[in-house]
Amino acid sequence: MSVETTTVSVPEGRAALLLAEYETPSACMKAATKLRDAGFTKFDTHTPFPVHGMDGAMGMADSKLGWIVFVMGLTGLLTGISLITYANGIDYPLIVGGKPAISIPSYVPVCFELTILFSALSAVFGMLGLNKLPRHNHPVFESDRFKAATDDKFFVSVEYTDPKFDADRTLALLASTHPNHIEIIEDTES
Amino acid sequence: MTDKTDYRTAGTAWDNAWKIAAGLGFLGLAGAGAGFAADGQRFAFSYLFAFVVFLTISIGATFFVLLQHLTNAGWSVTVRRTAEFFMSALPIFALLFLPIAASVDHLFPWWHDHGAQHASATAVEHVEEHGPAAAEANHVEGMHSENAHAQHVAGHRLSNEEIEHQLHAEVMASKGWFLSKGFFVGRAVVYFLFWTFLAMKLFRNSTLQDTTRDLKLTNRSQSMAPAATFGLALTTTFAAFDWLMSLLPNWYSTIFGVQIFATTMVAILSVLVLMGYAMRASGLSGKAITTEHFHDLGKLLFGFNVFWAYISFSQFFLIWYASIPEETVFFHLRWSNGPWKYISVAIVVLHLVVPFALLLSRNTKRHAGQKVLALGAALILAMHVVEMYWLVMPNYAAAKGIGPDLAGALAPHWMDLACLFGVGGVYLAAVFYRMSQHAVVPVGDPRFARSKRFENV
Repeated sequence: MSVETTTVSVPEGRAALLLAEYETPSACMKAATKLRDAGFTKFDTHTPFPVHGMDGAMGMADSKLGWIVFVMGLTGLLTGISLITYANGIDYPLIVGGKPAISIPSYVPVCFELTILFSALSAVFGMLGLNKLPRHNHPVFESDRFKAATDDKFFVSVEYTDPKFDADRTLALLASTHPNHIEIIEDTES
Repeated sequence: MTDKTDYRTAGTAWDNAWKIAAGLGFLGLAGAGAGFAADGQRFAFSYLFAFVVFLTISIGATFFVLLQHLTNAGWSVTVRRTAEFFMSALPIFALLFLPIAASVDHLFPWWHDHGAQHASATAVEHVEEHGPAAAEANHVEGMHSENAHAQHVAGHRLSNEEIEHQLHAEVMASKGWFLSKGFFVGRAVVYFLFWTFLAMKLFRNSTLQDTTRDLKLTNRSQSMAPAATFGLALTTTFAAFDWLMSLLPNWYSTIFGVQIFATTMVAILSVLVLMGYAMRASGLSGKAITTEHFHDLGKLLFGFNVFWAYISFSQFFLIWYASIPEETVFFHLRWSNGPWKYISVAIVVLHLVVPFALLLSRNTKRHAGQKVLALGAALILAMHVVEMYWLVMPNYAAAKGIGPDLAGALAPHWMDLACLFGVGGVYLAAVFYRMSQHAVVPVGDPRFARSKRFENV
């Protein structure tokens, strides 16, 4: 195996990973495709800019965020409807401007705003949740070479916790994708 | 992977589309002409309806093209040419306007009477008859009391009709300078001159680039875009006031121009989705129009449709809440007048609720060959036609003196269809003729290759 491999230790208690560095986006994408085809699910790519087609190469399903926002938006809508109906229609009917106590057009602005409010907040917090944020650190940051991920290098990381993971075979698989370099970022306890 | 098509219509069914459109247009105009001779009033309203259906599409196309130049948009280059075709036929509406100019008498109640003269004459008459106090008191009552006719002022009892007449005269007196014959015609001339200049200039800049590949042409279109957008917004607003709002000259809504602007965008975006769909299906656009373009057009269509609903509702909401007779008359005609109520409800459901559900998901814009997206666009376009009918036709019933809850408030007429085919045929013939003369995507645009490769992140 001609690929240079180094080992970096991580302070105790964290899952660790294999980190492969590539020179070009296409090499990085090919590696992602290979991992996807081998059945890996807990791996990620790190690139200085968005690479078109990477989602497909990684075999990522559509985000669930849309569904969260949709359900929360409906919740906001129903909140608005029930709030107005109860407060102004049942608990304390109040005639304003000669309109009936329960009059649909006057619902629209409030229900619209609540739908937007619930959708927007759930979009932000749902996105943070799905990304497992906030999170203070990640084993990839133990690598000095990884700093180039925001500059001119492309990385693939594979987590030890992936069910398909096998230390030697996964290393061999990554080595066959022509990386510049591979780092084994290990948990010191293991 | 190479895309071999030359993006020309030659040798495809598209090449003859303009002849079919022209044939239908000729038949439609012949029918409309017969209608004009038979019933000039009905013709006037039917024709105005057909006119605004297609004028809004063409103005929307111009807005779309300007928007791309304003933002230096790279993504939309491959679909921009389709909008340019629909924009390029805008000058033809100057000719298509002639039947409207000939029917102003039937369409606009303010045309034949109710000038400032008339109003002051009525007021003077009234004062002479009953003394100044009576005129003043009637004025106040008319504005604020629904039971004005039950009140006695200086021993004289005014009928509803008299009060309405007087109120009408007062409002018309204040609008007289704007709704005067000379100014109206002058404005129409200005709109058409500006639109013709804009459409021809932008179209020429774009098509010339197909062969010259000159970068300066892009710069020229971009540098005229900001001022042109202001100009188009103003002319569209005032054209909407002149040709649609003044059908009911007592009524006013300051947001009306914005509503028509929203309508134009919704109309052209649904047309662009459907045209893109047809061009891709027939292989005319090769690989130039991709899922990514449909995704973005779908997002814009969804967004502008919600914007249209937002503006339309805002207009309704303020009028509904304030409940002032001279404002509510617009919705009164479209709600209390027999079957119009169901059309109003249908517009809410089929123009907003159903398309909202169809276009909301990312999947419908990207997957299954965009069939759902095309369905949503087709529904919105059909409802655009219904909405224009809803804007124009209740005024016909009003002009005929058909009041609330009377049969005949909604009376579809064969002339509606004849005019739709007539105006639409002529307009689409011009659009498809232009399409047969040029590449259907701007092959000379410096961003063309980038647009073909473009992806939503």
